[in-house]
Amino acid sequence: MWKLLAPVLLLAGVVLTISLTDVRDPPADFTFINRGDVATLDVQRMSWMQDIRVARLVYEGLIGNDIFTHDYEPRPGVAERWDISDDGLRYRFHLRPDAKWSNGEPVTAHDFVYSWRRALLPDTVSDYAAQFHLIKGGAAFYNWRQAEIDAIEAMPAGPERQAAASTLWKRTEQAFIEMVGLRALPSDDGRDGAILEVELERPTPYFLDLCAFAIFFPVYPPLVKQYEHPNPETGRLEIGSGWTKPGVLISNGPFNLTRWRFKRDMRFEKSPTYWNRDAIAIDTIAMPSVEDPNAQVLAFESGAVDWVSDVSPSYRRYILQRKREFYDEVRAARRAWEDGGRLGTEPPDIDAMIEQGWDPVAIDSALPTDPRKNIHAFPAFGTYFYNFNCQDKLADGRDNPFKDPRLRRAFALAIDKQRIVREVRGVGESVARTLIPPGSLAGYTPPQGLDFDPVAARALLAEAGYPGGRGLPTIEILFNKDGGHDLIAQSIAKDWQDYLGVNVALQMREIKVFRNDLKNQNFMVSRAGWFGDYGDPTTFLDINRANDGNNDRRYNNPDFEGLLDRANDETDPAKRMSLLQEAERILVERDLPLVPIFQYVQMYFFNPDQITGISSHPRQEQNLFLIDRLGDGKGADKVKALPPRNPPQEPGGNS
Amino acid sequence: MTTMIARRLLQLPIILLIIYTLTLSLAWAVPGNPLEKGEGRRPPEEVVEAMSRQYNLDRFDRFFTSYLYNATGVRWLWESVLTDRAGQARERAIEAGQSPPPRFVFDFGPSLQYEDWRVNEIVADALPVSVTLGAIAILIALVVGVFAGVVGAVRPNSFADLATLTVALVGISLPSFVIGTVLVVVFGVWLRLFPIGGWGTPAQMVLPAVTLSLPFAAYIARLTRMGMIEHLKADFIRTARAKGLPESRVLLKHALKNAFLPVLSYLGPAAALAMTGSFVVERVFTIPGMGQHFVNAVLNKDLFLIMGVVLIFATMLIVFNLLVDVLYRWVDPRID
Repeated sequence: MWKLLAPVLLLAGVVLTISLTDVRDPPADFTFINRGDVATLDVQRMSWMQDIRVARLVYEGLIGNDIFTHDYEPRPGVAERWDISDDGLRYRFHLRPDAKWSNGEPVTAHDFVYSWRRALLPDTVSDYAAQFHLIKGGAAFYNWRQAEIDAIEAMPAGPERQAAASTLWKRTEQAFIEMVGLRALPSDDGRDGAILEVELERPTPYFLDLCAFAIFFPVYPPLVKQYEHPNPETGRLEIGSGWTKPGVLISNGPFNLTRWRFKRDMRFEKSPTYWNRDAIAIDTIAMPSVEDPNAQVLAFESGAVDWVSDVSPSYRRYILQRKREFYDEVRAARRAWEDGGRLGTEPPDIDAMIEQGWDPVAIDSALPTDPRKNIHAFPAFGTYFYNFNCQDKLADGRDNPFKDPRLRRAFALAIDKQRIVREVRGVGESVARTLIPPGSLAGYTPPQGLDFDPVAARALLAEAGYPGGRGLPTIEILFNKDGGHDLIAQSIAKDWQDYLGVNVALQMREIKVFRNDLKNQNFMVSRAGWFGDYGDPTTFLDINRANDGNNDRRYNNPDFEGLLDRANDETDPAKRMSLLQEAERILVERDLPLVPIFQYVQMYFFNPDQITGISSHPRQEQNLFLIDRLGDGKGADKVKALPPRNPPQEPGGNS
Repeated sequence: MTTMIARRLLQLPIILLIIYTLTLSLAWAVPGNPLEKGEGRRPPEEVVEAMSRQYNLDRFDRFFTSYLYNATGVRWLWESVLTDRAGQARERAIEAGQSPPPRFVFDFGPSLQYEDWRVNEIVADALPVSVTLGAIAILIALVVGVFAGVVGAVRPNSFADLATLTVALVGISLPSFVIGTVLVVVFGVWLRLFPIGGWGTPAQMVLPAVTLSLPFAAYIARLTRMGMIEHLKADFIRTARAKGLPESRVLLKHALKNAFLPVLSYLGPAAALAMTGSFVVERVFTIPGMGQHFVNAVLNKDLFLIMGVVLIFATMLIVFNLLVDVLYRWVDPRID
């Protein structure tokens, strides 16, 4: 009989052994769910938003942005001050002496030179290498190194090739010094590496903003060097992956990475070596990995997490609906109070606050506690749009009717975006007429764009040679599975059928296939979206340059690019912005290689009575080291919010 | 018995090679470029090209052989045991001030989607989680299933029998995302008895383990009931009762011991299945196990990860079956 118990004992033994070896952490001061799993903490190789969010926590760049100002003003980071030459070509960053790596070593300009050079090596496979081409000689150096590696790889194997490969690194270091305008200088009192001097190819007004972008953050050279192995046959550096793990990683940010278990959790603790550590109001941050949208909502509602950074279950519009109902109740209470002779405590006046341009977070903080106000929908720095293939022929050799801008404009005019936003989406997104989200960039006013106008659309259709849609092939819309793209495509297909009289076919693909089809222009019309990386219109406009790797439309217009080039050379900021506005006008009013549909919103769950430090600014970058738990006695315990846009004349209003 | 074990162990590499070849061919044929991201900015063309060359993603034959060379431990055998090339490379690296390259006996390569992770590290994090959860689930399934089966068999067609049969039917037919969600809502959200997800504490393991165990419990209950009913009619049971043995002894010692054998042979594949994770249970309860990788790795076309998890699953399946066969012979020495 006891033999029957053998499998039971065997299994129990396994359970016991593994459970005893598992590590459990105490609850953190702040727990949040990122919008996805972090792929890498190697800043020069990052491109996912969730990675960049964590990078801003564990690393620090030369400067940072103040996410609680409308203009995203630059604030000192590792650099305590900087000066820019009058021609806008030379930047000098003065590094603060108390900026430290997590091992206590000082952060120097040499570290930045090393890190930025890394991004300029084709071997690093940085998705954003092109941002470093703004530095004088950057592109030339990148191409030089690529050509050298190609030349060595083309040589027959043998001692000669190995010799060339073994000297390549020395030659590269030399070439970098000769070619690239990036130098570490001592300070006047002789501190080594106290100043980082950057020369630019051309005046680039958004260069400061780029310095706050994670790709420009420094890595710790003595650590990373250990993981760069030159291939003895080709000279190419092969990048090892072990250095970003807790216990190994050395970084310079406000928090240190103390745990990273794949698809399980990440954990951060306040860095004892960070220069501004006294300004931080929390000590530990936990980031559990929760993929399922329903599980995310439950995790928040059960109090297990403080912030869900991408609320995406299918029923999220109803969660938002409940917040609107709550607002209406508060409004009703206010009316009752006003009608009742203004007796007792004054209920908050939501409409007055909206009128004065209060930050939505500040409004919510002023309202009575209610779980319905914990959902937040903020406009994001991204636009949902539709691509037209602009090439003469489609990938399969058929004639492409959308090569004609008039036809593209006709199709753009015939989309009822309002219906998509209201009925299909229902999460408070606003109709987009332009590619660049209005209000997201200081000093930039986007052009007017096109409205919904089926009559004009039909006229244009006839002008393009297809009266009533006759003569047009079946229009194919390509989109990827999941994410609700099918519903949007159906809505647009119906508009085009109803208003233009054309046949529309929907093509749904798996995401990887979809991306591949886009890359190879194997589509007629497709869904698309773009989020900006840095604070300048070019972060949206440059993807429409003919040779840009993200120009899936293969749009090619020298007039448009001429305006971008002129803007590049323009030193007067206002004139530059109007040139860029002109360029965007060509895109969204005349040529329509793409049709903006709506501006994305970012949906968050957090309780504004408990947590502050999350910004509603449309750029939607969050600095988690600013998080403060209200009423815990640590930090300022004051609500952080953007200042009201139209404060009332008399003193008072939002703090 | 030893010849049986030896024969099965010799078959293992051949079966794995067939599975490897089939899986890789299928995964290779899945359309889409593994180095393409699902959203956002595209990496520059030359970057993608250099990476596909580095990982042999441009040549099936090269990928096929180099992956085999690394993952089967041949490379380790050659460089670390037969020769000292790994040691020399290590010394060279240390001399040059570099961290020596990681060395695994079975090296499943890097993850293409999660750049900071190697497949070995991913599996090292995920497999213990899945094995624990699977082991608890199989334990629950065994206890509940055998008990229900015995109860049903003692009084066939009684109320207790019908009740256990119904529960078993429900357990087999209801998909785990329904059971899991119901359990979360009832015990996590309404009653607040258990946390709604996550991994680490014993409380967090209860609901997912129950969810995962139900179909197995149901199947075991039916196997036990069938075996018991059959054996309770047998002559040796009549003899046992005639000898005046207490009924409990008749049931447990004589009938169950024999009725348990089919359950035991079912345990092998069941344990392998339960311990390599369930995508659905992991998703509903936010568990960092292996199951998710079977689905996500394919969607991401993360070739190294696909091959890694498939090979580990296949190995576990074969080894567990072998283990069960050994147990079988030990429990019932008549079989050989």
